[in-house]
Amino acid sequence: MVKIFIDDKPVEVEEGTTVFNAAETAGISIPHLCYHPAFAPEGTCRMCLVEIEGLPKLELACSTVVREGMKVFTKSEKVVEARRGVLEFLLADHPLDCPICDQAGDCKLQDYYEEYGLYDSHFIEVKEKRGKKTKLGPHLMHDQERCVLCRRCVRFLKEVTKTQEMGVFERGVHAEVNIHEGILVDNNYSGNLAELCPVGAITDTDFRFKTRSWFLDKENSICPHCSRGCNITIEHNTHFHRFPVPQRVYRVKSRFNPDVNGYWICDLGRYGYSYLDENRLDEIHVNNGISKLDWQGIAPLLAGKINRLRYMNKVSHIAVVLNTWLTNEELYLAKKIFFDDIRTDKIFFVDPPQGKADEILLTEDRTPNRRGAQEIGFERDSLDLETLSEKTDLLIIFGSFLAEKFSPAELKTHLDKIETTILLSSHTSELDALVDIALPVPTIAEKSGSLTNCNGIVQTFAPALEDCRDSCPEWRFLVDLGKEIGINFKFFSQFTSTQAILEEMGKEIAFFEMTND
Amino acid sequence: MNEKILSKLFDVEQAHKIDVYLEKDGYRAVRKALTDMNAEQILEEVKKASLRGRGGAGFPAGVKWGFVPKGVDKPKYLCVNADEGEPGTFKDKYIMSYNPHLLIEGIIITSYCVGIHQAYIYIRGEYENIALRLEQAIAEAVDKGYLGKNIIGSGFELNLFVHRGAGAYVCGEETALLESLEGKRGNPRLKPPFPASIGLFNCPTVINNVETLSNVPSIILNGADWFGQVGLPKDGGTRIFGVSGMVKKPGIYELPLGSSLKEIIFDYAGGMKEGKELKAVIPGGMSAPVLTADEIDIKMDFDSLVEAKSMLGSAAIIVIDKDTSMLDVLRLVTKFYAHESCGQCTPCRVGNNWIRKTVNRMAEGRGKKDDLDNILRLANNILGKTLCPLGDAAAMPIISIVQKFRQELESYIRN
Repeated sequence: MVKIFIDDKPVEVEEGTTVFNAAETAGISIPHLCYHPAFAPEGTCRMCLVEIEGLPKLELACSTVVREGMKVFTKSEKVVEARRGVLEFLLADHPLDCPICDQAGDCKLQDYYEEYGLYDSHFIEVKEKRGKKTKLGPHLMHDQERCVLCRRCVRFLKEVTKTQEMGVFERGVHAEVNIHEGILVDNNYSGNLAELCPVGAITDTDFRFKTRSWFLDKENSICPHCSRGCNITIEHNTHFHRFPVPQRVYRVKSRFNPDVNGYWICDLGRYGYSYLDENRLDEIHVNNGISKLDWQGIAPLLAGKINRLRYMNKVSHIAVVLNTWLTNEELYLAKKIFFDDIRTDKIFFVDPPQGKADEILLTEDRTPNRRGAQEIGFERDSLDLETLSEKTDLLIIFGSFLAEKFSPAELKTHLDKIETTILLSSHTSELDALVDIALPVPTIAEKSGSLTNCNGIVQTFAPALEDCRDSCPEWRFLVDLGKEIGINFKFFSQFTSTQAILEEMGKEIAFFEMTND
Repeated sequence: MNEKILSKLFDVEQAHKIDVYLEKDGYRAVRKALTDMNAEQILEEVKKASLRGRGGAGFPAGVKWGFVPKGVDKPKYLCVNADEGEPGTFKDKYIMSYNPHLLIEGIIITSYCVGIHQAYIYIRGEYENIALRLEQAIAEAVDKGYLGKNIIGSGFELNLFVHRGAGAYVCGEETALLESLEGKRGNPRLKPPFPASIGLFNCPTVINNVETLSNVPSIILNGADWFGQVGLPKDGGTRIFGVSGMVKKPGIYELPLGSSLKEIIFDYAGGMKEGKELKAVIPGGMSAPVLTADEIDIKMDFDSLVEAKSMLGSAAIIVIDKDTSMLDVLRLVTKFYAHESCGQCTPCRVGNNWIRKTVNRMAEGRGKKDDLDNILRLANNILGKTLCPLGDAAAMPIISIVQKFRQELESYIRN
C-alpha cells in the first residue's frame, strides 16, 4: 500500500494506482475528457492536470502513478488556471449548439464550464467549420464541430468490438475523427459510442430531439433480452404515464458492473425498449361469461378449480406453461405449487427462439433466466400441443410466447379442448381471445425479484417503472394461489416480499444461499 | 585555432566515398572501439566528455545511453534522428551529404557500447537525395565489413537501415519518430515510459541526433579530456552553427562551444548585408526565444543561453534585420506551429490555431487593443501544458517576440 496526500488529505491506495483513481477513492473528482476507466490513459485532453509538490510542471492525474509520500494538489492556483486555460481552448473551437444539442444536461463541457470556467469569452476569431449532421451508423449521428478529439470512440472500436470503423484523419486543428471510407459503424455495440462521447459529437438518432435529459428519471434495472443480464438504467418521464401518451421510456443506458457486463450493453438491449410501452395488456379480459372479475377473486377461483380436480384424483389434468422470463422467485413458487404441492407432471416451458451469440455480451439464449430455472431444478421439455391439451381441464399459461410458436388456428383447436384456460401476460397477443381469462402482469422493469445470468450470477432488482394499470406481479399471484390451495398455507403466508422468497430459496437450495447478504 | 571535428573532410573531394574516407583515417575509431575497448569504457569516455545532444534538447548522450536497462530479454534499437525539422537548421544535411561515413562510425560505436544490433536512420522525406547517399554509404560499409555480421572480425553484428519520413516536424520529437517508424500516425507518446525502456516496438531504444553521434568517433580517438578542451568542460566539443538571414556569408560554421555570438555573425558570417541593420537574432532554431540586437553579446553554449532566457537548441542562428517586420516574423512562426501540430492535445491544437488567426487578423490591419495580451495569455496556456515539447517550442518564441517587440507590434494595431 502507498500513502499519499491529496489536497492535504491522506489517502492510502495499492501500488500502481494512478493519482486520478486514488483521488476517486478519496471522493475527490478531477475533470477529464479523454480518460475512461475501460481504456489505458490517453493523456491528450489535458483537463486532469494537477500540481505535485516537487515537480516543476503540472502533471496528468490520469497517467501519473502514485509514489510514497506524494503530495498532490487539485485546487491550487496553478491548477485552476491551467484548467480554465484548457477549457477555454476546448470551448473556443466548439460551436454554440447547446440549444439544439442532445447532450445538454449530460455534457462534460457544460459541467466543467459551470464548475471551472465562468469566464468571459475572448474568442473573436472565426470558428473552424467541420462536418455536421452526418450519419455515422444506423443508430448514430456525427457532428465534427462538437468533437473534442478525445478519441474514446476510436479506442472503443479498436479494443472492444475490434471492428475499427473509425480513425483519426488529418493533422493539427484539421484533425478529425471519422469513419473509414465506405464503412458505417454498424456493429451490435454502436450505441455505446453515444454514451462514451463526452460531448454531443456522437449522438443517438433514436433519442434525437425527443426530450431533454433533465426531464428524465433514471432508474436501475436488468436487461431481459438475453441471459447476460446486463445492468441498465431506464430513463423515463414520470410525468407521462403510459396513458394517454404512448411512450414513457425514452432511453436505456448501460450501468457499470465489473462482473456482468463491464461498461457496455449491446444495441439489442439498448434499443429494444419499445416493448415496455407498446401492445401492453392493461386490463383483465374475460371471454367466457364469468361476470366481473378482479384480482381479489382470481386466486380463490383458481384454487377452487384446482382443489376440485385434486379431490377427484385428477391432478394430471392440471397443466402449466412457464417461461424463463420469469424471475427466480416466480419459478420457485411455481415449482412449489405445481410440482411439490399439486404434483402434476404437465409442467412445460415455452420461450422465444434462440439467436446468434457474439463474443462480447450477447448470448444465444434470448431469455434472462434459463440458468435460474436450471438451478431451481426444472427440466425443460419441449412442448407439443397434443400432450398439453390431451386430458387437461385446467391450463395456466405464463407469458404469450405460445402465440409466437404456433398459429392461432392450431392454438384454438387445442385450447378449445381445455375447460378452463388462464393466461398471465404483459402483452397482448392472439392468445387473449383464445383463453377464458387473460390477466395483465408487469414486465421485469416494473416488478421486483431476481434473475440468474448465464454465468450463475444472481442479480436482484427493484421496479424501475410504474406498473401498468390493472396488473399484479406473477409472484404475488402465485403466493395468493398457494395460500388459497391450502396445502401449505403457512409456508406461502410468509412471502410478503420477493426478498422473503429469495431468503427461503437460500435455505432450501444451496445455489441461492450465497446471495443472502 | 579552431579544431574541426565534424567538417574536417567537407572540402575533400569525394569524401563521402569509403575509399577516400579510409585514406583519411576513416574507421580507425571503430577499430579502436571494437578491438581495444569494452562497452563500459566507451560509456565512461562519452560521459566524461560531456557530449550533449545536438538535436535541440541538449541532454547528455552518455547519461541517456546509461538509462537502457541491462539484462532485459528484448532486442535494443538505435534510432538516428535525421529529421532536421527545426526551421533554420541545415547542419545534419552537410554531415550526411559530405561525410556520411563519420555518422556511420558514430552509429557503430554507439551500438557496440549499448548492445544494439539494429539501427535506423530516420531521415526527413524532403532529403530524398541525401537518403540515397546514405544508402550508398551503408552499402559500401557493408561491402568492406564495417556493417553486417562479424564487423571487422570482432563478432559484433549491426544492421543499419534508412527510413524516410513524410513531411512532419512533429516526427522530429523522439516518441513521434518511433510511432512513425512503426508505421503509425506520428503522434507523440506519453512519457513515462521513456524510450530507453519502452521504445521502438516496445523494446529499449536510444535516439540521438546525427551531429551528436558524429562526434563519438573523435571522442574515442582523442579522449574525453581533449573533447572538453576543444569546447567547455561541461559542454565539450564543437557545434556546427548554421547562420541564415541578412548576413553577407550565410552558411555553416563549425566552432567550439562557448564561441561568441557576436563574432559568429560579424566575423565569420561577414556581418550584415550592405545597407542592413541588425534588429534581432534567433540563436537556436525557430523554437528558441528571440534576442534583441542589444542582447547578442553572449557565449554560444547551453548554460549561457539558458541564463539569457533562450536556448542553444539546434545552433541555427537566424539573423533578422530592421527592414523585416516582427509581425511578419510572428506570422511565420504561428503559421508553422499551427500547421505542424499533430492535433492530439488540446492546448497545442487549438491554441496555435487561435494565435495564428489573431496574428493574421492583425496583419490584415484589423488588430484590436487586447490582441497582444490575449496572445501572451494563450501562449502561456500552451506552455508546459502539452503532451510533447512542440507546444513549448511554439509558445516560447511567440512569447519572446511579443514581449521584446511589443511597441513595434502595437504600432500595427494603431495603424
